[in-house]
Amino acid sequence: MTTNAVVVCTWSDARGDVLEETEAALTLARRTSTALGTDFTWLVVGPLPAEAVDIAQRQGVASLEHIEDPKAAAGQADGFVEGLTQYCAERTPKLLLFSQGFDVRLVAPRLAGRLGAGIVMNAVDIEASDDGALNVTASAYGGDTRRVYALAGTGPALVSLLANAVLPERVDGAPSPTVAPVAVDLASVEERVRVIEAARTEGPRLEDAEIIVAGGRGLASPDNYKLVEQLAEALGGLPGASRPLVDEGWVDSSRQVGLTGKITRPGLYLAAGISGASQHMAGCAAAKSIAAINTDPDAAIFRYARYGVVGDCLEILPELIRAAKQGS
Amino acid sequence: MRIVVCIKEVLDPDAVNNYALAGRLEIGEDGKSLTQTTIPQLMNGFDEQAIEAALRIRDAGVECTLCVVSVGADPSVPLRHAAALGADEVATIAPPSPEPDSHTVAQLLAGYIRSLGGADLVLCGRQASDDDQGVVPALVGELLDMPVVAIARAVEQPASGTLRVTRVTPDGDEIVETSTPALVTISNELGDPRYPTAASKLKARRVQPKALTAEELALEADALAPRVALTRQFVPTVQGNCEFITGDSPAELADRLVARLREDKLLA
Repeated sequence: MTTNAVVVCTWSDARGDVLEETEAALTLARRTSTALGTDFTWLVVGPLPAEAVDIAQRQGVASLEHIEDPKAAAGQADGFVEGLTQYCAERTPKLLLFSQGFDVRLVAPRLAGRLGAGIVMNAVDIEASDDGALNVTASAYGGDTRRVYALAGTGPALVSLLANAVLPERVDGAPSPTVAPVAVDLASVEERVRVIEAARTEGPRLEDAEIIVAGGRGLASPDNYKLVEQLAEALGGLPGASRPLVDEGWVDSSRQVGLTGKITRPGLYLAAGISGASQHMAGCAAAKSIAAINTDPDAAIFRYARYGVVGDCLEILPELIRAAKQGS
Repeated sequence: MRIVVCIKEVLDPDAVNNYALAGRLEIGEDGKSLTQTTIPQLMNGFDEQAIEAALRIRDAGVECTLCVVSVGADPSVPLRHAAALGADEVATIAPPSPEPDSHTVAQLLAGYIRSLGGADLVLCGRQASDDDQGVVPALVGELLDMPVVAIARAVEQPASGTLRVTRVTPDGDEIVETSTPALVTISNELGDPRYPTAASKLKARRVQPKALTAEELALEADALAPRVALTRQFVPTVQGNCEFITGDSPAELADRLVARLREDKLLA
């Protein structure tokens, strides 16, 4: 058993999460543990994914641990927080690193409260030095600025890594990790929040989409969103939206791309009538390519886009639907 | 029931974004603060919606005492707005340092709620639009030993002592129930907050927020010690590399864009 380790904490039933993000967190944790000169542990809450040992090995994880107790699942915050509190009491980790999915937004801050630990959400990088100092860079103002926070104190520090912030890098020739279950006692935990009606998963997720066509304010009226849906269908992709459309009630919130919505990473992100506010770009900047249609040639979206069309999306979208249906 | 709403005054995020988009967002000599003095302060949008959530509970016929509290140097403008909307008490707590961290703020808010004799429901915005951290509500919940329901679009009290909350999850809406006292964080999907009437705004101009200090809330210096310190803020650079497609008509622009995307194997 090691103390003072850098521990990446993940679980497999996470909502809104992407598996690549686990590898990104492991990569950042490996760099951090190397800089600190401490051990590197991956803690899985719930059943170990089939590929966990392989992933751990290629990420240079020394110790792979798992908490099997079903009451510790992240969807059940009381059990999760109690389980992780017991883990931290026994292991006294230096740093607990999370990959920022939906449930993390609740359970990581609650755990920080229980432990009295320093916490930084929306992290994009960690700088560590061998004297134990941790400086965490995090996104602020919806992505308009970055803030650097120094984490003080001796207790564990908690950091939640924003999706798409770190490129996973593998290591060659690392030994296979030790694998060990971690026992926690959650017999006395009773969840105080009860699910009455579970969220219904509505088909394919934006997070997994290879092509996304997203619409923004430039669509001008709710009816025009169907152009976005039709083009997405013609291209074999999914429709997305910027936050104003959700706030106006034009589209369901499950379509919202951005810092407070979905963080996506498609091969192609086609933005129609979207200005490119940082809040929105936080949800699509990791697309391999962005194509943008906007009437304003100075719109911020063109700074992120690989391909730009200056024009009215209401005129161009119907033509794109036609061109897409014509085939190559 | 007693409802406490925690609010924060922030720099207008849209104005910050406009400066950023124009490439004119600058950091001051301290390396931390934004220098644009023309950016107005306003109530964090999610917090406005948290007040709206409280008012909707009152509208539903539940008898409520509504207290609105803020930690900050002088948040009297948003607190007067809250008073105009129908808050029965508005209070401000002076932070022990100019840049309190989440733990310090949470201790002050929890101290205030304890000083009231507790609350049946604490409402907060899901996150503040300046630091985007979203940490304070969960910390307050832990300090007060309350269940925390995060990222809600609706809060109802179907029966005394029970809360029914609709959460916005990546998989769609989830409906949960919990017992009071509880803390709920509100997301933008709740919808537009209301405006106060002209008459209530006028009346609220005379409201002086109750001003409190850490000492008055019987908080020890140890409990207020920050764990996280902001050391630097900077504006990230974006590399522009856009290839503009040209054409004489929407049809031509569309054909050329699709052809270009197919050429680069981004479309089949």
